[in-house]
Amino acid sequence: MRSLLIVDDHAGFRMWAREVLRHEGFDVVGEATDGLSAIDAVHDLHPEVVLLDIQLPDMSGFEVAERIAAQTSVVLTSSRSAADYGPAVVRSPAVGFMAKSDLTGAAMAALLDPAQS
Amino acid sequence: MTRRRWALAGIAVASLVWALGGEWVSIHAGIAENHFLDALAGLSFFVAGIVALDRRQGNRIGPLMLASGASWFCGNWENLRWPVWGAPLLVFGSATAAFVAHVALGYSNGRLATRYERVTVAATYVGTAGAMLGFVLTDDPRVAGCVRDCPWAPVIWSSQSAADAFEWVDEHGAYVLVPMFVIALWLRWRRSTPAQRRYLTPLWVAAGILAGVYLISAIVPASPHGFLRLLSDFQALLEICVPAVFLAGLLSARLAQSAVGSLVVDLQAPRPTGELRALIAAALGDPSVDIVYAVDDGGWIQADGSPALLPTDESGPSARQVTVIEREQRRLAALIHDPAVDPGLVRAVAAAAGMAVENERLHAQVRAQLDEVRASRSRIVQAGDDERRRVERDLHDGAQQRLVTLSLAMHAARRQLTAGHADAVADTLALASDELRLAIDELRELARGLHPVILTDEGLGPALQSLADRAAVPVSVDRVPEHRFPPTIESTVYFVVSEALANIGKYADASDASIHVTHDAAALIVEVRDNGCGGADPARGSGLRGLSDRVAAVNGRMTVVSPVGAGTTVRVVLPGSARADRVDLVQRDSTGTPVGAAPHWTPGGTP
Repeated sequence: MRSLLIVDDHAGFRMWAREVLRHEGFDVVGEATDGLSAIDAVHDLHPEVVLLDIQLPDMSGFEVAERIAAQTSVVLTSSRSAADYGPAVVRSPAVGFMAKSDLTGAAMAALLDPAQS
Repeated sequence: MTRRRWALAGIAVASLVWALGGEWVSIHAGIAENHFLDALAGLSFFVAGIVALDRRQGNRIGPLMLASGASWFCGNWENLRWPVWGAPLLVFGSATAAFVAHVALGYSNGRLATRYERVTVAATYVGTAGAMLGFVLTDDPRVAGCVRDCPWAPVIWSSQSAADAFEWVDEHGAYVLVPMFVIALWLRWRRSTPAQRRYLTPLWVAAGILAGVYLISAIVPASPHGFLRLLSDFQALLEICVPAVFLAGLLSARLAQSAVGSLVVDLQAPRPTGELRALIAAALGDPSVDIVYAVDDGGWIQADGSPALLPTDESGPSARQVTVIEREQRRLAALIHDPAVDPGLVRAVAAAAGMAVENERLHAQVRAQLDEVRASRSRIVQAGDDERRRVERDLHDGAQQRLVTLSLAMHAARRQLTAGHADAVADTLALASDELRLAIDELRELARGLHPVILTDEGLGPALQSLADRAAVPVSVDRVPEHRFPPTIESTVYFVVSEALANIGKYADASDASIHVTHDAAALIVEVRDNGCGGADPARGSGLRGLSDRVAAVNGRMTVVSPVGAGTTVRVVLPGSARADRVDLVQRDSTGTPVGAAPHWTPGGTP
């Protein structure tokens, strides 16, 4: 079971994402509501995966991804589609992008282990 | 003849009596000097003073010139040897050089522009009249053997040493005063404008040479014979130059008025924007002249329509004179020119160019309005973009997030159902239902922000009442016409009131507010008032600016009156929005309930 950190400023999303993912193969080890606390949590909790919202109150999710990608696998997420962000998603060191409306444990696993899927 | 002219005639007669009487006294006392030249020099000051009083009312040069002339002849009258009048004549007569210095440095309005000039002129008065006053108050002529008909009254404090000191100052003060004066002239030359130099150069040359002659006179003792007599005559000739040059300046201003005729001819020809300024500059002989045009709101604009300010510094070395051109008590424009330019010439040029100035003003106003329309259009486009961004952000942060959450909740519920956890499914669905209701509320609020359906369906009265009901402070709604207006007018009124109430809630610190809507055949007038802290600045807030643009787009006008500490009134006038298909003014109380409703009527129909 992979350890996972959820980073999003919307409490409702964090609650339901935790509910979904912890029953579908992930160990949700923590939550963060903004970029700086996400970076701190990565240092403290060493999650294998970070589900990272792109629009955070203090900094962009792309910027956070740049700073934590060496330590963990980052999955970017948003209620917008990846196309709304253009090439920024491709340039990001994140392993992939997942729309919030598509979030499931299976989809996350497929994104993280494309070979197995 | 006017009373003023009678007064001037009286001054002229008195001056002539003072001059000729003085010369008569001097001749009978056997004083050896060129009486013709002496009288001519003194009278020239009187003539210049009287002309200056006539041509330049309120100008100090006229009185100074008269004082110079009066002082000039005091020396002659002194030969009467009247005990009582001897001292005043001696003191006033010694001030001639100080008056001339004052005229030269104060030309052309009599005002001294710098501290150094004021110090120099004050020192000149002190070194001449002041020293002589000290002398007559301390010197006792009886000590020198005078027993009767002594030249001045008995002294207040007899002190020969003090009298000697004052006499020394009187005789040698020129060593200091003349260089001070020449330096003051030089400094004034350096900071003068071309127009000032053209007027002042002859005067300053004469005054500078005269100062040199004073210095030589101070060094070389006076003598009625030979070279020194010649020097004395030369001094008198130079002293004539000062009033003569002043008179020439006045006459040249009169001659310059012939340029007004050329201006009238030149104004007939078509000319490009801004050319009027060049024509007026040529007529005034002042290349630095500038014209700004009055606009209806009390401000000023340049010929190209850009905003302008009138100079506030009307004194000092860099002073600019402002002459406002009016027609039928309405301001048209202002000429900003060199103070040295003759005011009469400025008035003549302004009168000649009146029609052209009016035309140029209208053009400038159109350019200014065009610029404002362009800027307003740009702001409206920008406001539209900002609004779309706001809607997208609101959707993303609000309803979209809740729907995403709802999607996850449904996913969780399906899993719980599959696992047979019926209780968990019920909880999840309850939470999802709450989330869905919140999403609906947020979408409804967003839709109302885009366009309020109550305005479309019910009209201004209920729509404004709904705004009042949701405001942060109690708001009363008075006299809202119940008939319908064009949709753009209604939405303009609605959003003006909405923004004004939002601002009251955010910034005004008010305890209550009111909305007044009045309507007649000419215009719909909306006022939103509060009793808050005031101090709102429409130029700073993008919200009020955006509203102003929206109002201007339907030919309306918005004003904000917001004195600090006395509340704010936002007033919007929308002219030509009258649609008197049914007039119905309803007074509403703070709850929106109609009070004492006027009877409905429909022109040509039943209520």
